Amino acid sequence: MTFSSLDALQLDTLRELSNIGMGHAATALSQLLRRGISLHVPNLTVTDIAEVPTLLGGAEKVVAGVTLDVLGEARGNILLIFPQQSAERLLGALIGTETTEPLESQLGASTLCEVGNILASAYLTALGQMMKMVLIPSVPRMALDMAGAVADTVLIELSQSGDRALMLETEFHDNQTGHDPIRGHFFLLPDPETLHVILKTVGGEQ
Amino acid sequence: MNDQQRVGISEYRIAGAPQKLISYGLGSCVGVILYEPELKLGGLAHTLLPERRPGMGEDRPGKFVTLAIRRMLRELLELGAERDRITARLCGGAHMFHPPPDDPAHTVGQRNIRAARKTLDELGIELSGEDVGGRIGRTVEFDLATGKVLLRLVRGQDKTREL
Repeated sequence: MTFSSLDALQLDTLRELSNIGMGHAATALSQLLRRGISLHVPNLTVTDIAEVPTLLGGAEKVVAGVTLDVLGEARGNILLIFPQQSAERLLGALIGTETTEPLESQLGASTLCEVGNILASAYLTALGQMMKMVLIPSVPRMALDMAGAVADTVLIELSQSGDRALMLETEFHDNQTGHDPIRGHFFLLPDPETLHVILKTVGGEQ
Repeated sequence: MNDQQRVGISEYRIAGAPQKLISYGLGSCVGVILYEPELKLGGLAHTLLPERRPGMGEDRPGKFVTLAIRRMLRELLELGAERDRITARLCGGAHMFHPPPDDPAHTVGQRNIRAARKTLDELGIELSGEDVGGRIGRTVEFDLATGKVLLRLVRGQDKTREL
């Protein structure tokens, strides 16, 4: 199956799946931070892998990224991207505002990985329940650098089976007043070779 | 005319002075630069994988280290470049993520670097400089007029390096 051959119903199905998964992830993040989390309408993009860094806000923009492999019957990658300042605010909220634990420290990196793990697990559990299959996130990995450099490892994995990527993206932010919001982007990039598994189980494939 | 041309992921470009070739945010990807100083001609490839596996299309030679180097060399020779004068430089091939890999020698970045060195060696092209590996992203800017290759980083002590 190629991404270009998906019809409108299949695209809607994928968007809806991601929407439900993201709802669970947002609830988890909300409990973790003890504050409300707002979700934007999910975006579904089928694009050339070369364009992905541009869609992440520009290849040179400094971001904190957490990535996990999706393991199980359906495979893919999850990428969680925070602008640097949002990631720092997130750490401040989790570890305590007095300590400004840098993202590059062991504690900072591990904390961000754990946030990725919690969000991805909530998302995949919801998806797995709907599709009646077990989806497991791998150990999370974290990087702080240019968006292009953070994303290219994921793109390299995708590029082994094609030159196009399907991205399900949801932007979220916290609702705390009195400071700049913590913003992030959650991406699911299904492996083209198992996309049919996802569509089949939810009845989207004709 | 814009003298600066972007080389995206899985692309390569051939250009001449006064143009500049630029690739943004190389992580595990490897940037390969070939340069012929007399004609001020050269190429930059933004490669993802070491080599093509059977069944993969050849429509994107820039995607693969080995294929990109061979194609760029061929195009430079067709444009009249003198083979003995062509030199190569490499950048990228990092492992961006924490925790570090279980097997540091077998990350895709390291495999890309090895594939590039091996291909250059087979073709008898001198490798005149490299800035590879580590855990940093690199933007590479190649000025065909001077032959200079400038790396821009967003982390670490030095924000620019010259190759």
